[in-house]
Amino acid sequence: MKEKMPLNATTPMPMPSAAIAAEATRAGPSTTEANDLPPEPQVALPDEGPAPTPEPEPGRTPKMRAQGVSVFYGDKQALKDVSIDIHEDRVTAFIGPSGCGKSTFLRTLNRMNDTIPSAKVTGHIELDGEDINSADMDVVQLRARVGMVFQKPNPFPKSIFENVAYGPRIHGLGNSKAELEQIVEKSLKRAGLWEEVKDRLGESGISLSGGQQQRLCIARAIAVDPEVILMDEPCSALDPIATAKIEELIHELRGRYAIAIVTHNMQQAARVSQRTAFFHLGEMIESGKTSEIFTNPTQKRTQDYITGRYG
Amino acid sequence: MSSVAHPQRTGASNDARLRKRYAAERRFHFAGLFAVGLSALFLVFLLSNMAWKGLGGFTHYEAAMPIDFARSDLMLDPATLKGPDASEVVAGADVEGLLSKSAGAAFGPDAAEMFGAAAQRSVGRQLIRDPGLLGRRAKLWLPVGSKVDVAAKQGGDGAIQQLVHQLRAKNALRRTVNIDFLTESDATDPSAVGIWGALKGTFLTIMVTMLLAFPIGVLSAVYLEEFARRNRWTDAIEVSINNLAAVPSIIFGLLGLAVFLNFMDLPRSAPLVGGLTLALMTMPVIVIAGRNAITSVPPSIRDAALGVGASKMQVVFHHVLPLALPGILTGTIIGMARALGETAPLLMIGMRAFIAAPPSGLTNPATVLPVQIFLWSDEVDRGFVEKTSAAIIVLLLFMLLMNGLAIYLRNRFEQRW
Repeated sequence: MKEKMPLNATTPMPMPSAAIAAEATRAGPSTTEANDLPPEPQVALPDEGPAPTPEPEPGRTPKMRAQGVSVFYGDKQALKDVSIDIHEDRVTAFIGPSGCGKSTFLRTLNRMNDTIPSAKVTGHIELDGEDINSADMDVVQLRARVGMVFQKPNPFPKSIFENVAYGPRIHGLGNSKAELEQIVEKSLKRAGLWEEVKDRLGESGISLSGGQQQRLCIARAIAVDPEVILMDEPCSALDPIATAKIEELIHELRGRYAIAIVTHNMQQAARVSQRTAFFHLGEMIESGKTSEIFTNPTQKRTQDYITGRYG
Repeated sequence: MSSVAHPQRTGASNDARLRKRYAAERRFHFAGLFAVGLSALFLVFLLSNMAWKGLGGFTHYEAAMPIDFARSDLMLDPATLKGPDASEVVAGADVEGLLSKSAGAAFGPDAAEMFGAAAQRSVGRQLIRDPGLLGRRAKLWLPVGSKVDVAAKQGGDGAIQQLVHQLRAKNALRRTVNIDFLTESDATDPSAVGIWGALKGTFLTIMVTMLLAFPIGVLSAVYLEEFARRNRWTDAIEVSINNLAAVPSIIFGLLGLAVFLNFMDLPRSAPLVGGLTLALMTMPVIVIAGRNAITSVPPSIRDAALGVGASKMQVVFHHVLPLALPGILTGTIIGMARALGETAPLLMIGMRAFIAAPPSGLTNPATVLPVQIFLWSDEVDRGFVEKTSAAIIVLLLFMLLMNGLAIYLRNRFEQRW
C-alpha cells in the first residue's frame, strides 16, 4: 500500500500541518504494511455529515463499536451522539482541543464513567458484539478485557512486582507464585521495562522515573491480558525521551491489542495511529485514516484544528 | 518608546515598606517562639511538679518491729496457715491489736497507732510465708502508717515527729520501694492503697472501647465515604456524626446510664458498660478522622485499581484502606487518649464506687485510673496527696505507652512505602 497523499508543494497548507502530515505519511508504510487491514477502501471517505456514521469496513467486524453515544454530567451534555469503531491491530487516536469530550468518550468504553455519580451515558457500545452496558455484562470483567492507562502515571504504592501482579491475582490468572512471576516478567518485558527493573522488583513502583512509571502502568494493564487498551493522554506528563519510548511501545503492542489513545499532541497522533477521530465541543467531527485526516480533512473544523487555527 | 510605568522599587517609600515587611516577619517569628516556649514551659512545670510530688508515692517507710508471736494472743495454728484459706485465717486474727501492743511496748504509748492496714497485710503475708514465726520472737520490717510516713517524708507535728526521730535514732526506719502500690487496690488507709485495681479496670474498659469503636468507626467511615449514595439521609447522618463528636462527655454518661443500666440492665460500675459508653463517645471522632483519611487518598489510585478490573470492594480494601490507615490510626489515637482520660461519663454509670479488689472480668465492679485519681484527690488524709500524684504518673505512663504503641503501628503501616 502506497502513500496516497505524497507531500505536495502546491497543497495550500501551513507549515505545522505539513510537518504533521509528513509524520503521518512517514509512519504510514513502516507501520501499516504488515498489520494494516487488506480491504481498506481506497475510495474517498464517505461524505460525512455533522453526525458521522461509522465507516463500513467490509469483511471486518470492529473490536468495539460505539453508536450514538452521549454523555451527560448532570444537565450538561459532554458528548453528543458519537459513533466510532475501534479495530483490532490498529491504533485509533482521538484528538481535539481541551474539553472536547475525547477523554470522556474513552472512559465510556470501559465504563469508568460509572464511578462519577452524576454521569449518565446513553447510546450503544459493544465489545465483540456484546452490549457493554447491558445487565449481562459484568463491569469488572469488562475492565479486565478493556484495560486503561491514565494521563498521570499512577502506580500503586506497592512494589514493582505487586503492581503488575495485582491484576492477574484478583482475576485468578496466576495461581502459583511461579505463574505470577512468569506473568510479571512477560508483562514487564512487553512493556519494555524488564531490563531496567529486573533486579529491583521489590522496590516501590513510586521510586521509578515518570516514564518508567507509565511503562509500569502499561505493564500492569497488559498483565491481565486485555483485548483493548485505552490510553488517556499517556505521555502528557512525560518528557520527550520518555514519550518516544512509550510511542515505540505502542507500535509494538499494536499487533496484539486494539488500542485507543487520546492525545493532545497532533504529531503524536500522526506518529502512532492508523486511524484518527477529531472531537470538538462534544461532537465527533470526523474520523478516518490518520493519513487522510491530516492531509485531506473533509471538515473545515478539522482542518482549522490541525492547521493550528485553534486548539 | 516604552511608556509603561513600572512601579517604583527604590527610594524612601520602598525602603519603608521593606522595613515594615521585615518587622512583621520578625514579630510573627517571636510570637511563634513565645507560644511554643510557653506551652513547653507549662508542660515542664506540670511534669516536674507531678514527678516531684508523685515519685514519693512509689516509696514508703518501713520500721523494724520486734514482735513476740509466742506470747501473743493471735490464737493461730501453724497448720491452718498452710491451707488455701490462709489469708482468710490471718484476716480473722487480731493482728491489729498485736501490732498496737508491740509498738507501744517498743517505742512508747505514742507509737501504739504507728501501723496501719499496710502493716497488718505485711504481717499476714510473712506469717503465711513462714508459719514457724508463730512460735518465736521476731523482728519484722513493716510499712508504717500514713501519719508516720508523711511525717518522715515531709515533717509532722509534735508527737509523731518525735516518734520519727526516735525510730531514726534506733536505726529502725528505712525507705523502700512500695511494690504494694502497683499490686494492690483501693483502700481506706492511704498507706495500704494500690493502683492495680484501677489500672486493670482501665485496661478492660479501654479494650472494650477499642474493640467496638475502631471497627465500627472505620467501617462507618468507609461505607459513608465509598459506598453510600449522596442524598438527604447521608447528609443527615454526616451532620449528626459531626455533632456527636462535639457533645460534652457527661451527656454520654447520662446516655450510658439510661440505655445500658436502666434499659438493658447491665451491671453497674462494670468495665463493659464503661467501655460501651466510651465507645459511643470515641466513635464519632474515629469516623470523622477516617473519612478525612479516606478522602485524602488520591483518586488516581482508585482509577488505577478499577482500571485493572478490581471490584469496588477490592479497591477499598486492597488500596484505599491501607493508604488511609495511618490517618485513621492518628484519629483513633486521639480518640482513645481522650477516652482514656475521661472521668465524667464513668461517674454517671457508677464507676466511682469504692472498689477494694481488682475486677476479675468485664462485668465485675471496677474503677478506672482517672476516676481513682478524682476520688483520691477528694480525700482528707494527707497520705493521699502523693498517692494521687503517683496515680497521675501511672496514668500518664499508661497513656504514653498506648500512644507509643499506636504510633509504632502507624509507622509500620506507613513504612511499607
